[in-house]
Amino acid sequence: MLFLQLFISGLQTGAIYALTAAGFALIFGATRVFHVAHGATFALAGYAYLACTDAGLPWPAGALAALVLAVAFGLAMDAFIYRPIQRHEGSFFTVFVAAFGMSIVVQSVIELVFGRGFVTVSSALTMARQVAPGIYLADIFWVAAGVAIALFVLVTLFLERTRAGIGLRALSENPELLRAYGLSSRRLSAMAFGLGSALAVPGAILTTMTSGLQPAISHQVMLISLAAAVVGGIGSLRGAALAGLLLGVVENLVIGVLDTQWSAAAGFVVLFAFILFKPSGLFGQAVTR
Amino acid sequence: MKQYGLNRRGFVAAGAAALVAPRLALAQSSPYVVGTLFPMSGPNAEYGSLFTKGIELALEHIRADNMLKRPITMAVQDSLATPQGGAVGMTKLANVDKAVWVMIGFTGVSKAAAPIGTRSKVMMINGGGVGPDLAGLSPYYWNVIPLVNQEVRVLLPWLQKEKLKRIALIYVDDPLGNSVVQELRKGLAETGGELVGAHSIPPATQQFAAIAARVRDSKPDAVYFASYGAQQSQIIKQLRDNGITQQIITYSAGTIPSVVGLPESEGLIVTSQVSDWEQGDEVTQRFVKDWRAKHNGDPTSYNQNYYNAMRLFALLAQGLEKAGTEVTGETLLAELQRVRRFPLVGGEGVLEDGGTMAMPLQIGQIRNGRLQKIA
Repeated sequence: MLFLQLFISGLQTGAIYALTAAGFALIFGATRVFHVAHGATFALAGYAYLACTDAGLPWPAGALAALVLAVAFGLAMDAFIYRPIQRHEGSFFTVFVAAFGMSIVVQSVIELVFGRGFVTVSSALTMARQVAPGIYLADIFWVAAGVAIALFVLVTLFLERTRAGIGLRALSENPELLRAYGLSSRRLSAMAFGLGSALAVPGAILTTMTSGLQPAISHQVMLISLAAAVVGGIGSLRGAALAGLLLGVVENLVIGVLDTQWSAAAGFVVLFAFILFKPSGLFGQAVTR
Repeated sequence: MKQYGLNRRGFVAAGAAALVAPRLALAQSSPYVVGTLFPMSGPNAEYGSLFTKGIELALEHIRADNMLKRPITMAVQDSLATPQGGAVGMTKLANVDKAVWVMIGFTGVSKAAAPIGTRSKVMMINGGGVGPDLAGLSPYYWNVIPLVNQEVRVLLPWLQKEKLKRIALIYVDDPLGNSVVQELRKGLAETGGELVGAHSIPPATQQFAAIAARVRDSKPDAVYFASYGAQQSQIIKQLRDNGITQQIITYSAGTIPSVVGLPESEGLIVTSQVSDWEQGDEVTQRFVKDWRAKHNGDPTSYNQNYYNAMRLFALLAQGLEKAGTEVTGETLLAELQRVRRFPLVGGEGVLEDGGTMAMPLQIGQIRNGRLQKIA
């Protein structure tokens, strides 16, 4: 029963990881920008939701505010940080430092506004009930699973069935061809940032309700997103989502056999195993040099 | 060559005086450098804010009372609550800022910083770290907070009385957490209890659903956790969310506002030093009155401890100034060992051999968002 309980907990954690990692993977896959500030997007969305619920607004208003702020931040990063850098030299290191610096700025602003402590939204959804002997399940499990599945179906349909979605997929591979088809790479890049940032919102709201927020959460989120992106195959949305789920399940299951201390490390053991034995990840393409 | 009223000896003396006088004047007017080595960023930054607020009020009182002839300059270093941050921060405070008095918090930070401070003869005062091995860490290291072994000793008879025998422990894998494991294992065995599970966690862990499943599996009567900072609230919330209905217990780190104010903390048992804000002595009354006026609420014991740490410096430096002795780490230590008893917030503080301060302890419970003494 312990393992089944751990597996269920892992699925819930994994669904949140999957949503967050998918946003990072979508942005990187389309634009090749190493968007380290994706963790800051997550933090901003979570705190926006928290501020609204604290102000007594209903949860849809909080979710909308989180969505607007996350998308606005993603678009602003693209327009005012990455694009000017890319216009001049566009080195990976410059982009990384700029994005990391912005994460620190966001963290400091959050600390100023919300303080440095832990904050959470208490909800009846997170209270687990015994559903079978030794098995506890909270309603938020179904919310996390439902939202994750629905969003992946929608995003996949968008990427595969719409002209803009196909354009997004082509953006990183052949921007010249896009121009030939009358598509603007600039607009598509903005769309990637908007959509990728929006994907961080459900995970941020669910985290606010389950494990809570603190201003430095962006670094932890980024670490998981990065690990999931590598395990899933760089740039693969499907891979990052599946890898996020896998990391969540592994982190939880390992506690059944090893000391609790190994939980976080287990995810990174999976990461190292992929780097060693399948560097292209779950859905990445192997490149021969 | 004709001399014009100044012979060679006089010229040398005047030259020497001209060279030395500005330095003497500078030495007399230059500020005392006092350092802080707290976590000012990251998940434990809430403690840094709490500690600093206590110091700020003490500084206001020191200035208002004109306690010292020279001003105080604060040198702030972020310890990040890690031993590495502690070592780097103390190196800067001792060697670059030339601080003579450093206020410090956290067990791991203290253990890393103490050898560096000792080498440079810097006085170090702890009002936040509670690891038992902070007693006797260095002749230059003093605690103005009771240590966790004392807190556990107060808790054990209460557990026995409440018939809470099977205890599951969740602890951060650092010097503080490891000392709690030892104290609880030893203490429970002596009082007829049992440690049914000891689950170590890294300081940055944020997911506790799986740990809650393990804890539930061990069927404890109560769950004790030894963590600090934002992680504490995450542990409490996720234990409650994941079906842990048993009594949850922690030590004095749980007195911070974010824990006390958390709805899921209702009923939480917290051991801590006694903070009696109604105490009649002048120092306590002034501290509480001004704190309430400034912060619109009651202080925490951490505010009290760091107020005391800063006030202790002023009292010692004042004594040295009166005696015409230079204020250095060495002279501050000598003065502290000479005086030993100081009027502080909470009553007379008596600093004992081993670098500790005697202080009464209490068992509190969080009820309606407030910590209330129950034993």
